[in-house]
Amino acid sequence: MTFEKIKEQKEIARKTPIEIFPDPKTAIVLTYQHTGAQNSPLVSVGDTICIGQKIADSKERVSSPVHSPISGKVIKIADSYNHCYEESSSAIFIENDGKKTKDKTLTPISENELDSTKIDALIKRIREAGIIGLGGAGFPTNIKLSPPADAKIKNLVVNATEGEPFDAADERLLIEKTENLLKGVRVVRKILGNPKVTIATKASKVDAIPKLQEVFGKEPDTVVVAGHFEYQQGDASLLQKALFGYETPPTKRSYEMGCIVQNVATINAIANAVFEGEPLISRVTTLNGDVPKPKNLQVKIGTPVKDILNANSIDMNNVKQVVVGGVMMGHALPNTDAPVTKRTSSIIVFNETKTKKQTACIHCAKCIESCPVRLQPILIYNAITKADFEKAEKLYMKDCIVCGTCSYVCPSGLPLASTIAASKKQ
Amino acid sequence: MTNQSSVEKSKDLVVAPAPHISGAMSKNRLMLYTFAALMVITVITAVLWWHVPVPTELQVSQLGLSNAWVMPLGAILLVSALVAVGVAVGIDFLVGKIAADSEINTMSAAVFGLIVTLSYSYGLPQMAQVTDVMPIETLTAPMIFAYVALISGIGLLVFKKLQGMAGRKFVNPAAAAKFLVLLPFITSVFIVKDHFADWTEGGLSVPKLAGPLGWGDLAVGGNGLGSFSSNLQGCYSDPTLMNPQSIESVMLFTKFHGWAGGASSIAVIIVGIALFVLARKYIKWRITATYFVSIIAMSLVMTGIYGGDALIRIIFEIFIGSSIFLAFFMATDPATTPYTAKGQIIFGVGLGILTVIIQTYMNFFGGALLALLIMNLTVPLIDRIGLRKPFGR
Repeated sequence: MTFEKIKEQKEIARKTPIEIFPDPKTAIVLTYQHTGAQNSPLVSVGDTICIGQKIADSKERVSSPVHSPISGKVIKIADSYNHCYEESSSAIFIENDGKKTKDKTLTPISENELDSTKIDALIKRIREAGIIGLGGAGFPTNIKLSPPADAKIKNLVVNATEGEPFDAADERLLIEKTENLLKGVRVVRKILGNPKVTIATKASKVDAIPKLQEVFGKEPDTVVVAGHFEYQQGDASLLQKALFGYETPPTKRSYEMGCIVQNVATINAIANAVFEGEPLISRVTTLNGDVPKPKNLQVKIGTPVKDILNANSIDMNNVKQVVVGGVMMGHALPNTDAPVTKRTSSIIVFNETKTKKQTACIHCAKCIESCPVRLQPILIYNAITKADFEKAEKLYMKDCIVCGTCSYVCPSGLPLASTIAASKKQ
Repeated sequence: MTNQSSVEKSKDLVVAPAPHISGAMSKNRLMLYTFAALMVITVITAVLWWHVPVPTELQVSQLGLSNAWVMPLGAILLVSALVAVGVAVGIDFLVGKIAADSEINTMSAAVFGLIVTLSYSYGLPQMAQVTDVMPIETLTAPMIFAYVALISGIGLLVFKKLQGMAGRKFVNPAAAAKFLVLLPFITSVFIVKDHFADWTEGGLSVPKLAGPLGWGDLAVGGNGLGSFSSNLQGCYSDPTLMNPQSIESVMLFTKFHGWAGGASSIAVIIVGIALFVLARKYIKWRITATYFVSIIAMSLVMTGIYGGDALIRIIFEIFIGSSIFLAFFMATDPATTPYTAKGQIIFGVGLGILTVIIQTYMNFFGGALLALLIMNLTVPLIDRIGLRKPFGR
């Protein structure tokens, strides 16, 4: 199987060190940033809150709390905030008082204490820190790290492939926070009962590879694999196929194959939560695209994207589109008031849209050739447009991983992936 | 809920679903590359053909062609190209203007016009001295331009636009239109009964393909085994030369009769492969590859059945203008070929088998054209084969 090559376009970004972006004057924190049940706000307008204070949560199992990124006063709670995601949620507006008072709920533990800390306590801490899959899926990490008792986890894969074009935030973490990642991996390893560890990265990350080999080289049962992976292989199942050779049936979860895949940024957040006592209130995001200077910014969750664009001398009059979370799988923002969320791995600015005008299919079959999970995208698309969902399902519509490759290659600009994705959800 | 914020209204952005970038290849770019490739072949052929007048002085007197315009063969090709492209682009434009739901596809129409031109037969071989052999009006100016125009017009209107409205194109438009327009001449243009008569029937003393084929020098006449290669030389050689060119020269470098697109086999192969590379994997190259493999295999089978020399049969079946041009530029037409890799392989193999069978048993030179139309019609069936099992299933 050959995978469609998609240009990385991150030459400058991957060489640019992480820069700390100032805290926002007003933070807009969505109460729902993960996959799972919606949260309810735990604060009211007028409340004074601290950095790291839990401000929204749910009692449902598959959920993840959110925390205040700054200290200050709750000035507004919007019931239904229109961000780029399919499901809207409420948003808590916090005015920064500049005092930087910190919430002390999560107490840091030292590296020496890790051995004596109970696994349950670690998982609880990961949940209370609001950690979700930062690679884009947003699935609560504590759930992912609690597979059924009979599932024997043999492999932990740290997904450091960062296949999305333009994005380099993970790559900078690999270079600059390598020791922190090692600490995070140790935590996850302990939770999963000491599986083998594979750090999977791409051969093109030339600065990260020696750093990883240096830091992880002496760890027992740990390998660094720098493969010639393409964008599509960042998918957890495709990555396992590349590393271990097996294909996970679409009906099975990774853990049933004895494997857990965690994104680099998630591992970093776990280390911060355990050893620094810091909930997930900031992340590294790549600013790239039609910008004067590509950057990697350590930014507080809730920072309006507008603040970031303004601070980086981007002329909003020219901007046509702003994409967050990756140009292949991410979302286009409706406007730049929208804040950074836990899933904002990148902010890509376009002065013109980069997709083709839709015309009729020419039957070139390129979408079929390039589907990494061997589907027939055009046939599924045709079935859906004729409202023949039964046929679409027979063509395994639900196996689509929505990587976007079919739409990307289509010379007629057909919205294959998004049509299949929308139909899958129904 | 309080509403004390009166933040300045931020600009509305373009919201569209992922992915937000797309690959470099577009329909128009693909058409542009194909057009450029076809133009290169047209120009090369026109240059190679320029010094040959059609008809020659001898043919004018012997065949009574006083009404035909004497033009360089290369010029006939270029004028044909202009006419076919002009008609196709013009009709496409008019249809686009009249029918609101029809897109104007200038580049696609231009490519179609060139394919019509290059899949048409040109040139009067010396053999045409025998008066009842060739439908001469289809090969000489000015009538040749009328035929090309007719094929282009009918092809665009009926086989491109009308078929397109049906949601799926069932047959290759250029092939179907040529077949339809030249149907009245079926016995002379396609089924060349007299052209390649059974040597036992006398006539031109040329061996049937359903018989042993062999090499031989030109002087040999009635020996079926010996004269096949010399007959090809006679058919395809430069009519301005006293002695025919070598068989290698005509089959590989320049034929002076037959499909313009296949006049120079080497040129088609180089330009065709260059287009495949340039167009990445947007052209169904598997069809071309398996077509050639299948033709070779079938030639060996036919040699096994009828004896004679395998190589001359292979050379003939592959390098005849219709085969070599069709393989690269018509059999790969995306709209009328299968979706799946396995389907494309079946299509290419079937096309090769049918081509050899049609040419052998119907004495249908240019049998690839009919084979293509038949294979096109099987595509909806072939498309049910070869659907891959998804990842992990």
